[in-house]
Amino acid sequence: MKIEELNLRVWRGKDFRSAAGIATGFAALDDRLPGRGWPRGALTEILVDRYGIGELSLLMPALARLTRNDIDQARKWVAWISPPMIPYAPALQQYGVAIEHVLMIQPPADVKNRLWAVEQVVRSGTSSAVLAWLSAASQVALRRLQLAAEEQGCWVVLFRPVATRKERSPAALRIRLQREGCSVRLEILKCRGGQPGVIDMTAGFPSSDEALCRTDWRQRDTESESLG
Amino acid sequence: MRGSLQSSTLLASAALPVLPAKPAAGQHEPQLWLALRLPDLALDALASSLEGPVVVAEPLRGHIRVVAMNGEARRAGIEPGAKLTTALALERSLQVLDRSPAAERAALESLAIWAQRLTPRTSLEFPDSLLLEIFGSLKLFGGLASIRASIADELQARRMAFSVCAAPTALGALWLVRGGGEDALTIDQLVARLSVLPLRVTGWPETAQALLEESGVRTVGDCLRLPRDGLARRTSEHCLRDLDKATGLGFDPRASFRAPRHWQTTTELPEEVSELALLADALERTLEGLVAELRQRQSQVLRMQLAFVHVHRPPTIETIEWVAPVHERERLLNLLLDRLERIALPAPVIALRMTAGPLEAMSLEESSLFEKRSTTTSAQVLLDRLQGRLGAARVFGVKALAEYRPECAWVRGSSLGVERCTAPLPSWIPGRPLWMLPAPLPLDSTAAHRYYEGSVQLQSGPERIESGWWDGADVSRDYYTATSAGGQRLWIYRDRLDHVWCLHGLFG
Repeated sequence: MKIEELNLRVWRGKDFRSAAGIATGFAALDDRLPGRGWPRGALTEILVDRYGIGELSLLMPALARLTRNDIDQARKWVAWISPPMIPYAPALQQYGVAIEHVLMIQPPADVKNRLWAVEQVVRSGTSSAVLAWLSAASQVALRRLQLAAEEQGCWVVLFRPVATRKERSPAALRIRLQREGCSVRLEILKCRGGQPGVIDMTAGFPSSDEALCRTDWRQRDTESESLG
Repeated sequence: MRGSLQSSTLLASAALPVLPAKPAAGQHEPQLWLALRLPDLALDALASSLEGPVVVAEPLRGHIRVVAMNGEARRAGIEPGAKLTTALALERSLQVLDRSPAAERAALESLAIWAQRLTPRTSLEFPDSLLLEIFGSLKLFGGLASIRASIADELQARRMAFSVCAAPTALGALWLVRGGGEDALTIDQLVARLSVLPLRVTGWPETAQALLEESGVRTVGDCLRLPRDGLARRTSEHCLRDLDKATGLGFDPRASFRAPRHWQTTTELPEEVSELALLADALERTLEGLVAELRQRQSQVLRMQLAFVHVHRPPTIETIEWVAPVHERERLLNLLLDRLERIALPAPVIALRMTAGPLEAMSLEESSLFEKRSTTTSAQVLLDRLQGRLGAARVFGVKALAEYRPECAWVRGSSLGVERCTAPLPSWIPGRPLWMLPAPLPLDSTAAHRYYEGSVQLQSGPERIESGWWDGADVSRDYYTATSAGGQRLWIYRDRLDHVWCLHGLFG
């Protein structure tokens, strides 16, 4: 047997064919993900060391698309499970999310109830996406979630502290989001069917719309002045 | 003579100080009343399963007297109104039950609920009768005979003795059934049939009946032949009005029976039970009754109270609430069993008491022609399960409101995914933060430092929000976006009244 033939028989991670993902809305990120988007039917872990650094903005384009186009009677919800603050409805609307499809669940703080709620929602097959904030979760629990997500084709996003990056995880995609000053860095720690690596997301990230906001505001001022 | 008499000719010839009421509404809108009488209600309501001679007794005129008895007791020679001592002397093995007005009422109401499938115009006539207006139902149910047949079937299934009479007036039908008369389909027929009945069918006060009998008036017909003013003077106007109602000359409006809005039942367990599986069985059995009731009344239920009765303790009470009204057995059962698993019972249970309600009319879900129904149900099942375990307040939707004050611009929505939301903020409004704090925190407080790290640098602003003077929660603030040293983008404001800087949200 020739060495080329043997080579053909070796299974390689990059040959992993995954179904089309949910477009993230960030071209730089899409290019790096195997399904050209967030993986459907799998866990995505986003590791952050604090909240408010853009972890929600990262998901907004995908959520807007899901709630606007992908909604059918069967999977009508995007469930938020134990968010650390109040997800602000007018802001969600500004990002284009159809908020009538948002289901908020605030279980008591213990891990057991949170995991239970996440699993119930995923297994019910009623949600196209599930966002959950979990600090500690056993591997067994995550594995169960991953299986449920596969079964139901549900996009499950877990927000977890950076401290958990050394733990093993069955998630299809693990990324770490960092922000220093104006630069936004996305580190892909694990990507089924793709390559780990670092992406600079600063361009196109909502924070750089700052100037835009300001000009809008001034514009209005001048408009009202001219009206007055 | 009696048969040919017509009340209208009688009335026309009489001098009328007490005017007859206007002709009954029935002349414009034909009516047919069915009176259903349960002569042995006192017995049937209590126990139909007892063997041997049984009587029901209650204190009456200074003695405990028999008010109802079964066939075997009757064969032993016991008669209604007999003293209990006499009855016991006649039949040694007699079983005596105390009369229970509550049970009789419940039996009558249960029958009335059933009867509402025949006609919505059902009214209770205490102590032992029901009146059904069935004119409008005749065609649907295929005539009087078939309505009577279905009533007969139901009452046989309930093992209750009964008699039924139809007449064009409610009171007429009632008197006929008390007198054991036959159906009367026209007013003339009714007057003829009523005329031969004795006065006791009217249920007038004993004194009035005695007075009339002393003057030789023994039947309803005799009464009808009396001059109206004389009758009214000797007895009471009440009697005259009853005669008018019975013969179709007076209005006889009747309140329709409305089934109670709560449904309650108690399941006694054969012994004290603490095993979960046995309790679940009992719960399931109890639920069957509710489901049958809901089906029959075309109703659904939103909440229920479950009381686990213990022997020497106050009962453990659990309140269960569904997201949306339910009527399906599976959904009811799922949540109940789920709750049962997590409940801590301090002692074994001897009985289960279920109070469901208020029952509300079933509203059918809107669904498109090709939509699969099961899918909406799985969403409902999920919500039930989440709310059942976590509590109703922990599962909610969100709604945006047209309001400038940030904290007032959203509310929790209870009816999930049902209502469309209001329009988003106008496009010229600067971006709002995705994370909102439950309440604004002073920027340099420890509580606020839990949300951000390091020093804060202003980035853009201000956006002035000044609103709400009309409801006492007015705000006057200048909002800025800022960045923290930790890379977070904050939404902070300076209160224009007390110049305090506060953190209100984070651009997640």
